[in-house]
Amino acid sequence: MLLEIKNLKKKFVNNTVLKGIDLSINAGEVVVIIGPSGSGKTTLLRNINFLEQADSGKMTFKNKRLNLANLSNEEILWVRRHTAMVFQNYNLFKNKTAIENISEGLIFGQNKSKKVALQLAKKSLDSVGLLDKQDFYPAQLSGGQQQRIGIVRATVLNPDIVLFDEPTSALDPELVGTVLYDMKHLADQGQTMIVVTHQMSFARNVASRVVFFADGEIIETGTPSEVFDHPKNKRTKQFLSAIAEDY
Amino acid sequence: MKVSKVIVTLLNGLPETLSLLVASFFFASLIGLSMAWLYLRKNPILSDLAKIYLGIVRGTPPLLMLLLSYFGLPKLFALVGININDWAKIFFGIVGLSVGWGAYLEEAFRSAYLSVDKGQYEAALSVGMDVKHAFLQILMPQTFLIALPNIENLLIGLVKATSLVYVMGMVDMYSKATDLSNQNQGVYQLEIFIILALLYWLIVLLIEWLFRMFHRYYRYVEI
Repeated sequence: MLLEIKNLKKKFVNNTVLKGIDLSINAGEVVVIIGPSGSGKTTLLRNINFLEQADSGKMTFKNKRLNLANLSNEEILWVRRHTAMVFQNYNLFKNKTAIENISEGLIFGQNKSKKVALQLAKKSLDSVGLLDKQDFYPAQLSGGQQQRIGIVRATVLNPDIVLFDEPTSALDPELVGTVLYDMKHLADQGQTMIVVTHQMSFARNVASRVVFFADGEIIETGTPSEVFDHPKNKRTKQFLSAIAEDY
Repeated sequence: MKVSKVIVTLLNGLPETLSLLVASFFFASLIGLSMAWLYLRKNPILSDLAKIYLGIVRGTPPLLMLLLSYFGLPKLFALVGININDWAKIFFGIVGLSVGWGAYLEEAFRSAYLSVDKGQYEAALSVGMDVKHAFLQILMPQTFLIALPNIENLLIGLVKATSLVYVMGMVDMYSKATDLSNQNQGVYQLEIFIILALLYWLIVLLIEWLFRMFHRYYRYVEI
């Protein structure tokens, strides 16, 4: 087991967003979290790399046990240095070029020399066919290019898990395909991923496991076929029938 | 009177004006950064200290700040047994203008810092940067770029405010102009002040050009 979360709870003022989440992930798995907007999917992801801090709960990551309510700065940094995140709005560093965006984490997160970091960054950019954009700033790139660089920025760190927070939601429809292609390619290479998305076709075709999330709780979990074709829970059925997309 | 004589006489005061400008801007920036840092602390005492400084300085004319520096600092230093009465007047000018402009720079830095997209900081943390590197590599450069138009305005304002040091009897370009005008019983007063205005304008044009170059260098950085 690579990651195990037990009874994770999170509240914003009086609003309980996560009501005791239990989730386990094995190395190489692609877990896709689906569910209505505002159900707490993104908050769950942000609690895994501590961009939000849980009120209570336990986490075991790479056999290291962590008390989510009481984390040290070293523990936070350790988890962040073994995970990576791809954001909905890309969040590329606006004051850095494409190649700098990719190399910064290697230099300042993994203490690699600038020379080595730039070599790795170049190689990664080349692998997705964006080497010609290495000196471009984010504002000079399309949304699709930015997000693909966002994915490279995450994966170049060789993380144990990549967290994807609705990576295609902010993209124009014609740009979604290229990003999903890169994600599928990563999944095929055995990268462990947790993906929050509304792309049901991606969930069906790429996920090893689909988790249906609603009102801060995991309602149902199973293989894509189990969740999409034979949902057991009424809420899951309602959600799936309300989606216009042909999945 | 020849125009060249006026220009040469006024330019004799240029080194003082420029020294005052550069030193005051440097120290005002240090004060501004420190006060912005204090203001943003969670500790209410530190934050209130910065707010008190801001309130007093922004509510006081810069001319008065110079006078307070010139007459007040020697008394303050005398309390700890240091006599600074003979110190160069430029010192008091730099202190007065730095304290006065520090408050405005603080506002420029603080508002810029607060308007940096929170997602930029989160992205820095997510790639494994610690808080220090996230600040130095991502937040601070972006804060600076956002603050740049305000910094430019404040620097231009400071160019003009340097002329206020005449109240302490310091010899800068403005003081050279009034001296020259008085020596000629005010006959060429208008001409002298027009030339003085043009010289100040040239300094401002130079500053605008420098900032334009900077903006051009970072034209693709949209924050």
